[in-house]
Amino acid sequence: MAACHEIEEDAKVYKKPNKILLMGNPNVGKSVFFSNLTGVHVVSSNYAGTTVSYTEGTLKLGNETYTLIDVPGTYSLEATSEAEEVAIRFINSKPLAIICVLDATNLERNIKLGLDIQKYNIPVVYALNMLDVAKRRGYDINVGLLARELRAPVIPTVAVKNEGIKALLDELQKVIKKDKRLCGNCNLCSGCPIRTSNTWDRAREITARVRKKTEGKLSFLDRLGNSMLKPWPGVPIALAVIFISIGVIIGAGKFLQEFLLGPLVSDVIVPFFRRLFSSIMPEGLWRNVLIGEYGIFAIGFEWIIESIIPYVFLFYVVFSFLEDSGILPRLSVLFDSIMRKMGVQGGSMITILLGYGCAVPAIIGSRTATTRKERLMITCIICFAVPCISQTGALISLFAGFSPVLLVLMFLLSFAVMMIVSSVLSRLLKGKVDPMIIEIPNLLMPNGKAYAKKLMLRMKNFFLDAEVPMLISIVIAALLKETGLLEKIAVYLEPIVSGWLGLPRSAVIALILGIIRREMAVAPLLEIEGLTALQAFVGGTVALLYLPCLSVFGILSKEFNTKTALAISLATTLNALLVGGLINQLAHLFM
Amino acid sequence: MRMKNSGHNTKSLYYAEDNHKYVITDAPDLGILKSLGIVKNATVCKKMTHKFGGPVLLMVESSQIAIGKDIAEKIYVRG
Repeated sequence: MAACHEIEEDAKVYKKPNKILLMGNPNVGKSVFFSNLTGVHVVSSNYAGTTVSYTEGTLKLGNETYTLIDVPGTYSLEATSEAEEVAIRFINSKPLAIICVLDATNLERNIKLGLDIQKYNIPVVYALNMLDVAKRRGYDINVGLLARELRAPVIPTVAVKNEGIKALLDELQKVIKKDKRLCGNCNLCSGCPIRTSNTWDRAREITARVRKKTEGKLSFLDRLGNSMLKPWPGVPIALAVIFISIGVIIGAGKFLQEFLLGPLVSDVIVPFFRRLFSSIMPEGLWRNVLIGEYGIFAIGFEWIIESIIPYVFLFYVVFSFLEDSGILPRLSVLFDSIMRKMGVQGGSMITILLGYGCAVPAIIGSRTATTRKERLMITCIICFAVPCISQTGALISLFAGFSPVLLVLMFLLSFAVMMIVSSVLSRLLKGKVDPMIIEIPNLLMPNGKAYAKKLMLRMKNFFLDAEVPMLISIVIAALLKETGLLEKIAVYLEPIVSGWLGLPRSAVIALILGIIRREMAVAPLLEIEGLTALQAFVGGTVALLYLPCLSVFGILSKEFNTKTALAISLATTLNALLVGGLINQLAHLFM
Repeated sequence: MRMKNSGHNTKSLYYAEDNHKYVITDAPDLGILKSLGIVKNATVCKKMTHKFGGPVLLMVESSQIAIGKDIAEKIYVRG
């Protein structure tokens, strides 16, 4: 018998040679290890399930180059979830070695996975991470004894501080050179991990031997983390966190807009291009397309840099902090009962909140939902009622000229639509939604470097994803307006835009551009002079509820199918026109 | 159907008293529960049940886990 588990090659999927796998339970810091080891940055967060698919990077050890794979976090290797299936496929793809990250604060279940991995007879090095947190909680772990029990090297690490990484790499190099596999002759050796049938019992046994309970001293953050899980004082703290977050995004966003980016755009950038084009081009249509009132170089900077970027940036500043600090899962626990009434479960709240940034990562993130019904519900809630941050930025700019009450009303409207959509869908859609089962991470201060890298990566992704559609919509806007084509199209859409919605004719452009980018359904309204508060609110409502942008359509077709994407787009558009129109008609009845 | 309190000192985790240690006697056959160590014979410490159909909070080793009502009702404990 060669080994108790034959390694079968999954030729199609994972053929790369020289692979080293990075494995471990969810939320043990694998992604932090990965970015420390490879320099490639992975978005890692302080809650389980960030790495839904795998990531690969290059790892240099001496003169050799290896492919390091960040395998999705798993608790076992029993193929009970998509992540575990991926992990099993990788482990069966002839890797050279495995780095298995163990969370020192939850030794039993981490050792269990460590033992499961050993059954595949691949050289392994264990990184015992978060030893500092374990010590604080009163756990004293005998690392040497653990290494003997596991029959493999165990290196203590604090990944977020980059501690122990060098020792880990040295040990990794040794096991690869030695190819330290088990003999495979399982019947002869007693205690061979391959023969261990009940890894849970063995994990408990090892834990009892290597871990001693001492007097722990909970830190302030530990105590705060615990109290945030109880309704009192958890709910008031959660509400304060939400209000402070909104306050920071809107307040600091407006500050940046008014005192920094606004003057920069209107006093420096736009005049510069105006002078430039005036000096090289004769007056006429093309100069207007470039730098006229609606010119590409005018609205391009005004809409994107002044009205959108500050809010996108600040949203990710706040959201990344909430993510890395472990606050989000606590909100999920506190609001689970409300979410259950909406037909989803508390854990979905994180995905929906992510949608307030951008619908695309949120729809991808909804993969963590355990049933199709739940996934579809989260997706629809996001598409129907959650404005993305670019759009929120544009709405803030739009309502700035009127009253902040309009913004509050708009958010209330968004919640009302969310409630209606979810309760209708939970009745309409077949299937079930699983109850919440989540592990709550420690509350901690995010690591500055990892946080900054994540923020940079998110902003970069925003520019990469949004730049082309934004530029396209700006070029279309400039062409439609400056060539007079808009007036011709407006005639056909006038009954809807002016008759039903009560908006000025030039608002047609918002409806056309909104198809490409969500905030572009609002931005053109900023340019209309003499807009009344009601018109601004109706325009904002239509934009809020309007069909998701082209990128969302793309991701819906990819993650579900084109039929679902078309159905959602059609339903959201009709809903937007219906609600916007009703508000206008009712307001006219009473005013 | 089993009662909330079946008499043999076994009760549903959802209704069990807060801030007590319990040994699990029966838990639904769910991958995620097994993975988190919520298996027969495991010792858990129940912290609290959230009101209005909210989740149960418990500690398994030093990790805190929240379990929705529908599942927590089906986990039986003694102790």
